Amino acid sequence: MISTTAKTTSALRARPFLGAASVVALFVALWMALVWSPPDAAMGNVVRILYVHVANAWLAYLAFVVVFLASVAYLWTKRLVFDAIAVASAEIGVLFTGLTLVLGSIWAEPTWGVWWSWEPRLITTAVMFAMYVGYLLVRNLSDDLERRATRAAVLGIVLVVDVPIVHLSVTWMNALHQLPSVLRPDLSPTLDPSMLASLIAMTIAFTVLYAYLMTARVDIERRRQARVLEARG
Amino acid sequence: MTLQRIGLVAAREARAERGQPEGLIGAATFIAVLIFVESLTIGPIAASHPATAAALYWIALTFAAILVASRAFDRELEDDAIDAVLALPGGRDALYAGKALALTALLAIVALIGGGLVLILVPLAVTAPLALALVVTAGVVALPPIVVLTVVLALRLRARGALVPILALPMLVPHLVAATYGCAAAASGDTSGAFAWSGLLVAFALVYWVLGFTIVPAALE
Repeated sequence: MISTTAKTTSALRARPFLGAASVVALFVALWMALVWSPPDAAMGNVVRILYVHVANAWLAYLAFVVVFLASVAYLWTKRLVFDAIAVASAEIGVLFTGLTLVLGSIWAEPTWGVWWSWEPRLITTAVMFAMYVGYLLVRNLSDDLERRATRAAVLGIVLVVDVPIVHLSVTWMNALHQLPSVLRPDLSPTLDPSMLASLIAMTIAFTVLYAYLMTARVDIERRRQARVLEARG
Repeated sequence: MTLQRIGLVAAREARAERGQPEGLIGAATFIAVLIFVESLTIGPIAASHPATAAALYWIALTFAAILVASRAFDRELEDDAIDAVLALPGGRDALYAGKALALTALLAIVALIGGGLVLILVPLAVTAPLALALVVTAGVVALPPIVVLTVVLALRLRARGALVPILALPMLVPHLVAATYGCAAAASGDTSGAFAWSGLLVAFALVYWVLGFTIVPAALE
């Protein structure tokens, strides 16, 4: 067990509740997605991948925007808690971007007939994935706490440019991937109401899960930081 | 004052390169070998397609830029000269922008050598040479800020040689695509297409230079 001098924060105290809330929310969202919502007229039951695929993509966007905000906050204040938030969010973002790509590929095979297509949304998402893997590499190859945090913060600010590019790529260069169904420029979702409700429920469930994972990972990082600072004296 | 310091760093870089032109010779040799091997591997017929020739050229030029930028910072690290520059007021800004400026000048030479080699090795009839020159110029100006950024971020890190291309290449994807399509358009006589891609490259250059100058000096330690 990692020894620590990190204080118990309100986020840490909220973690068990967030864990329970994410389990309940995920069960409800899965029931809505798999049982309650109707199959698609054209795709049939294959459409149900949509609920997890879109929720994963949303979480990836959210995570990388949080990395950006935490990076700005770190450079502004030099407080290590923001670096802990940035690394926690980046790791979760990379995980969910990877899952978005895998789930998208699984969905693409029955609908497009291929596992992968060189079209803008897929390429920009893969590029975003590679960029944030690089971000984690920079962090892991650096030993000094403050130096690592500063470099990662600079990179975290630069890399966020790709997030709107990924989202808008289907609007700018429409190819195989469908246009946005919810976050549209005219703010009018094109989904069936029950499908939209299921998608919103899944997105909320994933967001609660993100909050839970964040509290857990930030806590680990804070303990690591405390241990390094303690060893330094 | 800052501009003067940037000019001093860039001039110092140029003097160092003139005295020991290892970076320039290394990059020129590297781009020549890479273009030769790439063209040989895919064959002369495939390589003569404008988009393919342009892609080979820009990939080779990007790696050459990484090589030159890494060498420029290695020279600073060898005798701890970097610490003295960073200790000066405004030294970080000057070091980043000066290095990026010097890299732009060096890359222009490497781009000319590489471009000449592509035209010799690949049977490519360029129908709009001025448009091609414009695309290459815009592309060369847009490369250094990102390449220097990644070299700075990987400075004094383990596995730096692998880390710099891992960081730089995904960030340079829009640049590489625009430069490749711009060159291909110019080579096949589509001047309006070449101008449009050049405009995009100029926009990238502006964004990259402003972003780099604003934020990268913070990472210089």
